Amino acid sequence: MSAPAIVARGLTKRFGEFTAVHDLALEVARGSIFAFLGANGSGKSTTIRMLIGLLQPSAGSVLVDGVDVIREPRRVRDRIGYMGQRVSLYAGLSLRENVEFYAGLHGLAGAELEGRWGRVRERFELGGAEGERPESLPAGIRQRAGLALAMLHQPRILFLDEPTAGVDVASRGLFWERIQEEAEAGVTVFVTTHFLEEADHCDWVCFLEAGRLVANAAPDELRRRFSTGYRVHLAPARGAAEPGWRDEVRRVLGAAGLTSETAQDGLVLRVPALGGEVFATLRRVQRELEARQGARVRIEPPAMTDVFRRILAEAAP
Amino acid sequence: MSGVGPRLEPPPRAASAVPSLRLRGLSKRFGRKLALSGVDLSLDGPQIAGVVGPDGAGKTTLLRALAGLLEIEAEEALVLGFDLRQDVRALKARVGYVPQSFGLQRDLAVLENLRFTARLHRLPEAELRRRADPLLARMGLAPFVDRPVGALSGGMKQKLAVVNALLPEPALLVLDEPTAGVDVVARGEIWRMLEERREATLVCVSTSYLDEAAACDRLVYLDGGRVTASGTPADLRAALHLELYRAWGDDPRALARAARTLAYVASARASGGFARIEIRPEHTPGEARVLRDLAALGPVQFVEPAPLDVEAMLLHLARRRIAPPGGAGLA
Repeated sequence: MSAPAIVARGLTKRFGEFTAVHDLALEVARGSIFAFLGANGSGKSTTIRMLIGLLQPSAGSVLVDGVDVIREPRRVRDRIGYMGQRVSLYAGLSLRENVEFYAGLHGLAGAELEGRWGRVRERFELGGAEGERPESLPAGIRQRAGLALAMLHQPRILFLDEPTAGVDVASRGLFWERIQEEAEAGVTVFVTTHFLEEADHCDWVCFLEAGRLVANAAPDELRRRFSTGYRVHLAPARGAAEPGWRDEVRRVLGAAGLTSETAQDGLVLRVPALGGEVFATLRRVQRELEARQGARVRIEPPAMTDVFRRILAEAAP
Repeated sequence: MSGVGPRLEPPPRAASAVPSLRLRGLSKRFGRKLALSGVDLSLDGPQIAGVVGPDGAGKTTLLRALAGLLEIEAEEALVLGFDLRQDVRALKARVGYVPQSFGLQRDLAVLENLRFTARLHRLPEAELRRRADPLLARMGLAPFVDRPVGALSGGMKQKLAVVNALLPEPALLVLDEPTAGVDVVARGEIWRMLEERREATLVCVSTSYLDEAAACDRLVYLDGGRVTASGTPADLRAALHLELYRAWGDDPRALARAARTLAYVASARASGGFARIEIRPEHTPGEARVLRDLAALGPVQFVEPAPLDVEAMLLHLARRRIAPPGGAGLA
């Protein structure tokens, strides 16, 4: 595999007596979406600002796209896109004027700028907003515009600091769809959020608490370690369970070594993780029960919020 | 500190025993901007009512109006039986309010802040301790009673703001995004506190967290300064003809991308181990066909029709935009 897009080692930031970030080590794989989570004041923004060379660490090293950020902060600039907490659009300038300003910073002009902006404008549905000033745009559109500007110079790595804060749920959902498309196209995305359920839209999750990492794993791995697992609810697809329906389902589950509990309208199965074998068994249940009332399967993943509550409880001194 | 701060008359009894509010055509103008443009809303009895909606919809303005903090215009505006268009001092004595930005005294200690509130409500010291101590203990703030509020963490500050609002045992509790940016543990503690009061208190709380919206007894969806839908989450869900599916597989992102190419799919994205796929009701070819199509997307391990989540519900409400006049409310 190629070298990680971001590598930080021993990253520390002190402000006087206060240690905002303590001995942080992280690696971000290329083309992945990396969620950086934590409450307000946990050190997220301080970390992101060190990673992009805006803030000098007290100790430690950072490589972004192979460049030493501390020694050569300017060389990193063209490789990354950054969208800050308060979307960095200039009030008083129209969106189009903002575009020209940002393009200028990256030496983009003329036909090249028009071509790129044209594509980005279409993808982010900004055609109607071009003449508007950011302050008169709804938060959701302003956020898309901020993202579009951060993408204009086609960075390989995107840093997004709380991109979904203050944005309504509809725009939040569409935003994640776009981010996933970027990752599919090979862009690495480093994103902070305090909406914990958004961790599920990412490949990897780091959780920062008081400047220290308390979790650093794929979302499903965290589920495996810090929850009671998936709850799979099985009920007849047609009518109330007739005598024998549960026995039949239990038989199929039992053949795969799975045990279930009786629920009011069917059965409940708990599994620490889902995978090929569990799914194959569920399909078998549906197939074999088709002749008698069928089987409706409803999978309840453990809520990420609960997973993080448990992580924090275990991390507490 | 005796004699410091304004004194209120002793709280009068509420006009009605059951906390309720009844708003018709409630509007609020700030200069040329119409922040609320004809809110119709009735809430009867103790419950947790979640105020949701896009940024700038008027949530904060509505909550401030409910707390008796704004001069408003309305055809009818009764809160706890008090008319918002008249003298609201008596109402204020019965409302606990947690503003969006922290409103307590930073250089006073935790207990001093609460004592200040107790004085305003003419609670004697013994009563203050009787009420405050269990609240502080439940919120994990007991060890910090002597600490200046400015030195508390963000989560602790918000927990204290809630304790402070609960101190007068209000019939109406109004909280404006009390958990925004607060850590997940403190968020849970604040919500447990609210849930314990749902039997006795009318709680109006705005939130942008989906799990919190799901925990409300009733949701009030605000858009463009109006209530465009309100009802229990179950009511709202039942009124939507939206279909949600999950396609599980090892590469949910690729499955989501493939799903987006289906003409009837409104949106699809990877979430955990599955692609979450929304289908516009007017375009659905029927469950059997959808399940077949989704199973053929690629290496799919399992396909299930999923129950509508709060996100799907809010998304749908957001798409409807502003309802025609008089058409507010699905339930």
